[in-house]
Amino acid sequence: MSDFELIVSLASPGELEGTDLAPCDAVCLGSPYCRRLEGNYAEALDSLGGVVSLLHASGKKAYVTTPAAPREADLPHVERLIDAAAAAGADALEVHSLGVLRMLREKGRPLPAHMGAYANVYTHLAAAVMRDAGAVRVRPNAEVALDEMGLIAREASVEIELLVHGKIPLGVTDKCFLLSEPEETDPNCPAACREEHWLKTPQWALKTVGKGVMSGRDMCMLEHLPRLARDGFRVFRVEGLYETAAYRSEIGAAYREALELAFSGGEYAIRDRWAKAARRHAKRNLCNGYYFGTSGRRYVGELLQRDDPGIK
Amino acid sequence: MVELLASGGTLEMARAAFDNGADAVYVGAKGWSRRRALYEMDDDQVVEAARLARSRGKILRVAFNTLPASSEAPLFLSRTEALWRAGIRDFILTDPGLMKALKKRHPDAVVHASVGCTIGNVQDALFYKEAGASQVVAECRMDRETMRKIKREAGVGLEVLVHATMCWTLLGRCTMSSYARFARQVDDTGKDHFPGSPNRGGLCYRICLTDWDRVDGRGNLEAAGVKMPNPAFFRAEDVPELIDLGVDTIKIQGREYSTALVGEMVRFYRDLIDACLRDRAGFRMEPFRERMAAIVAGRDTERREKTAGLIGEARGDA
Repeated sequence: MSDFELIVSLASPGELEGTDLAPCDAVCLGSPYCRRLEGNYAEALDSLGGVVSLLHASGKKAYVTTPAAPREADLPHVERLIDAAAAAGADALEVHSLGVLRMLREKGRPLPAHMGAYANVYTHLAAAVMRDAGAVRVRPNAEVALDEMGLIAREASVEIELLVHGKIPLGVTDKCFLLSEPEETDPNCPAACREEHWLKTPQWALKTVGKGVMSGRDMCMLEHLPRLARDGFRVFRVEGLYETAAYRSEIGAAYREALELAFSGGEYAIRDRWAKAARRHAKRNLCNGYYFGTSGRRYVGELLQRDDPGIK
Repeated sequence: MVELLASGGTLEMARAAFDNGADAVYVGAKGWSRRRALYEMDDDQVVEAARLARSRGKILRVAFNTLPASSEAPLFLSRTEALWRAGIRDFILTDPGLMKALKKRHPDAVVHASVGCTIGNVQDALFYKEAGASQVVAECRMDRETMRKIKREAGVGLEVLVHATMCWTLLGRCTMSSYARFARQVDDTGKDHFPGSPNRGGLCYRICLTDWDRVDGRGNLEAAGVKMPNPAFFRAEDVPELIDLGVDTIKIQGREYSTALVGEMVRFYRDLIDACLRDRAGFRMEPFRERMAAIVAGRDTERREKTAGLIGEARGDA
């Protein structure tokens, strides 16, 4: 039993395949961005029972995500998803929409809610409202700084989940940016988002996954893990959606080792292999700015900058 | 009777909106609304705007619809308390925690759930109703059937924007601007304006509208100069149907536009709504089209200039 929980997110059987889950304590299943994503665990309800059992058999917790911003027409599916996740024995439901949180409450809270990145948790007062509706854990909005998160945890008595590595979710929408026709008729759907697509200007880079926009840079908190441990944070996520199996496996392994060291209380120093893994997989560099009160694309720190002046 | 709600970025604009037929005007409390301070009001100005509204039998709503820091909650309560004592009763909020806190202190406060709540279905509407809202703003792409359902089942008022921008990402769920540029800037009241974050401080640099090159995983160009579409809309043609389905408030957004343009827009919608209410069966859109085209052209010119300035600011040009 570790002092912390390391979560890796993955969307589908395609993303599960080849991913080494040994480093993680929990897996968040499904993509909140698009219901048409091939194999999306949040859509293919028949597959939930099998994957949840598989995770439980290997000692991992299984969380299931829900659509980030469901329309009225999506709600019957969300209702079935709640039922299916509960029947599969999932450990929690990741919820981004307050309407979905309400549906969960109305169903008698068949499983606890973890408020996701798009739930817009900015204040302890909002977190307390969500707690009263069934949330036991919240992931504050990306813009919320670390000192604010501590206050939310203390004042609202909820667990905080922190993104420690991976693309930062920056936006979600209904219409796919990668298609030229409506998704029902465009022959490129659902294949288009299987490939990587980036948006670039001389100043900025973003990653588009069709209905979602993510940071171009990878959030990286390797050098700040001892502070996170000292501040009382215990739940950490590596964002694995729309990444390769190698990304999830190698970044997950680096954080397992790094977190164990950070929580051991011993002397902490970034191992070369962790830094190499972070750099190898970050195609547009690293960042961690929102946590320290600056723009999201900034990297605050020194250790990873020392060897790579490109990280600014 | 449907209410026409218009923007009051300044006292002059609030006056122009009332003069041109708005039933209600919304203003932003400085540091607390989804626009930069230039288009917000300090408490004295808010009180003055409220006096103006009352003198004409109209309503003033005060937007506190940013998502603040937890440490700013006491400041929110003291600011709203001061306005309450000055007779302000109508507020626009986003954070459900702030809604509950305000309603607990002032059960008679009229709270509307802001467009930043991203209310897209009846369950969302019910959640905000339970948090204390008596009216909700429909997410900009909400279809008519969902509007009908909210009217039928949620028991809350429904507000629809007829003039606003349709962000490509869902409004209230986007942090692209602050990813590019963001700062912490505390004013003399102790409020952080979070410049660069539309959710927290109101200022959006609109980087979605810059020219992006889309490249694949190997760096090959897939498309050059693409924008994430973010059109300004002008839904005059929808007004009769919105009235038919019982929408409570028709809102013209646009505190950042010129007072003259806001005045023209308000007069246009006032005339349109009145013509529709006077003779619904005989109502025809044609007489309004030429006027509408002129207003839209003026609006687009102002918006283009503002967008170029904001993107330049985000890049550090200014």
